[in-house]
Amino acid sequence: MSSFQVQLYSVLRSKLAAASVNLEAHDGVTTGELLDALCDHYPVMAPYRNIMRLAVNQEYALESRIIHAGDELALITPVSGG
Amino acid sequence: MVAEKSNKRWVLLSKARLDVTAAYQFLQAPTAGGIALFIGTTRQWTDGHETTLLMYEGYEPMAQKEMHRLLDVAMTRWPIHRACILHRLGEVPVTEASVLVGVATAHRPEAFEACRFLIDRLKVQVPIWKQEHLTHGQVNWIEGNEPPETTAT
Repeated sequence: MSSFQVQLYSVLRSKLAAASVNLEAHDGVTTGELLDALCDHYPVMAPYRNIMRLAVNQEYALESRIIHAGDELALITPVSGG
Repeated sequence: MVAEKSNKRWVLLSKARLDVTAAYQFLQAPTAGGIALFIGTTRQWTDGHETTLLMYEGYEPMAQKEMHRLLDVAMTRWPIHRACILHRLGEVPVTEASVLVGVATAHRPEAFEACRFLIDRLKVQVPIWKQEHLTHGQVNWIEGNEPPETTAT
């Protein structure tokens, strides 16, 4: 098992009142599995499951991507810049 | 403030006011016969609600990278001489600019097209969010309409 820190922004940062969350997951966990686990632990994230992305090392990751210890992770809900 | 400028592209995230004149000067080139500039500003009224200011938050290092990725794509699609994307962070009062996208090309059609592409994709791909502050103290995060495209492997 490894511990992953996931950065939060915008609406999720406000709803969870935290800049990041930590989650334990097995080695070789994929982006999709980590998103599912986050939604299980933090039900407030569940409505965003199908529209949020996990950024891995500052790139939007496919759900099949395997996450490694030390990767920089951030949850990205639909953006509203401009 | 995070800034990066070459002689062909300029990407900027800034808490200070955006400098339209500096963007125009950057875009000027002897080869460019058309310059398109789009400026997004804070609007006072939306569906009967009065906005006092917008507050922008970004995942700054990734936002910078996504802005570069959009410029990479635009530069393969159109013959762009110079282009810039400047985005403000923090509080942006009514009438002030939150985003400035500029493109300089030989002729106007590709300047308009590339500028439209850049601002439309920025609004989906670049991890920046706005929070509206309304009169009477109400504060809301604005949530976008569609998730960003995943391009990484």
